[in-house]
Amino acid sequence: MTRVTIPVGPQHPLLKEPLSVRLTAEGERVLEAAMRLGYVHRGIERLVQERTYVQNLHLLERVCGICSHVHTTTYCQGVEALLELDVPPRGLALRTLMCELERIHSHLLWLGVLAENIGFSTIFMYSWRDREMALDIMEGLSGGRIAHAVNTIGGVRVDLDRGEMYAARRLLNELEKHVHDLLDVVEHESTLKVRTQGVGGASLEQVRRHCAVGPLARAAGLDRDLRRDAPYAAYDRLSFEVVTETGGDVWAATRVRVLEVFESLSLCRQILDDLPSGEIATRAPRRVPEGEVVSRAEAPRGEVVYYLRSDGSDKPARIKIRTPTLPALSLVREQLRDINIADVPAVISGIDLCIACADR
Amino acid sequence: MEIETLLATLGEACPDYAFEARTIPVDETVIEIPAACLEDVVNVLRTTFSAYHLSTITGQDRGTELELLYHFWHERGITLRVALPREGARVRTLTETIPGADFYEREVGEMLGVTFEGHPGPEHLLLPEDWESEPPLRKAQQAEEGDP
Repeated sequence: MTRVTIPVGPQHPLLKEPLSVRLTAEGERVLEAAMRLGYVHRGIERLVQERTYVQNLHLLERVCGICSHVHTTTYCQGVEALLELDVPPRGLALRTLMCELERIHSHLLWLGVLAENIGFSTIFMYSWRDREMALDIMEGLSGGRIAHAVNTIGGVRVDLDRGEMYAARRLLNELEKHVHDLLDVVEHESTLKVRTQGVGGASLEQVRRHCAVGPLARAAGLDRDLRRDAPYAAYDRLSFEVVTETGGDVWAATRVRVLEVFESLSLCRQILDDLPSGEIATRAPRRVPEGEVVSRAEAPRGEVVYYLRSDGSDKPARIKIRTPTLPALSLVREQLRDINIADVPAVISGIDLCIACADR
Repeated sequence: MEIETLLATLGEACPDYAFEARTIPVDETVIEIPAACLEDVVNVLRTTFSAYHLSTITGQDRGTELELLYHFWHERGITLRVALPREGARVRTLTETIPGADFYEREVGEMLGVTFEGHPGPEHLLLPEDWESEPPLRKAQQAEEGDP
């Protein structure tokens, strides 16, 4: 049979951001997938060297348009470690609260994208409606829906008062009811199962070989979550379960993400119920002493790594950013092998792409 | 994983080199290794200590030399530091044993001008295919084209 090359992207309805995937197919069977990145490469790793540590907060928040808060969290953690700053407990708790709200919003956004790409628009509408509640809480706290500017070196910039806490709790309770409905659909709706079960399965071995992280790795049975394994911010004071599944197919990844929303809702409540009193930030000096640091955090898509080196000035000498989408793109090349062309949208959506993150 | 045990096992794998570890925040162990030992050290990490996860590879220009940092993770962070000369920087690829290293190595290669020997597809990852200038993260480049 003749082999054909099918380009998906850089501009394609399936992709929300530019990425070029070239599929080699024989009939309906995909044999191979090659990838080209860099369409939204902004040179952020170079730009940060020209800016002060405070200016970089605003730049690094824009590495990703979905998990913006976790980038500043990882960055601040690194700078605070070099400065040997103690962040007040209330600041850490509020930072963690935003991390978990962001996870809820990211997972619900992803569920909508997956549903739309497999032609199940109802769930797309419902999950994006529900996601608004998480965005409303974040907007109430910070004034921003997507770019929150909550983190600062030494703590956070915004505090919660009693009224805002009450409003947040009310929205969380309402959201939980809606997410139960979404879980019900994921577990029982045949339309979704037929399009995702057994599709794009990744083995534990493949996940290890490609160094995949986050829900994608946990869907294949890799029990790793930095919130538990290397607790940062306020996670050492909170209790939660790390959700894992087996099979590594799109359905397993869907279950992991929806079940993680429940864990995040519980984490948000734990933080609101036991919010420490006191200051929200410590004052940080402009210059950072010489040294290097590796800071890790669990973003909605998995491990984010920042390597940061200071030469003693007010600008970093080097910041290296590794976002979770990069190893996911490496793994998806194997997941796309030997599948039907009609399953390509489900598999590509299944990894929860963030191209701007991967390109930086 | 005990760092003393790791250093002892690495000493057996590469007997000509004395391995030393230091700790940087946040709880990351840094071990300096010669470029020639990289493959052996990574094999020991993977087979004896189950450290499968390569988080990323950081490349940076330290003025007199180029520095590669291989950030591994298994119960804790372990970073392998490899120093390379600025001219003709070459190091053996890890992509055969860790396919996930493919993208990381291509990025370091194009940004710093490091050649990864034996890499199956060393084309550009983020930069355009027709990029002909100096690697953008080299120091000389930054001095010439620094932001006003």
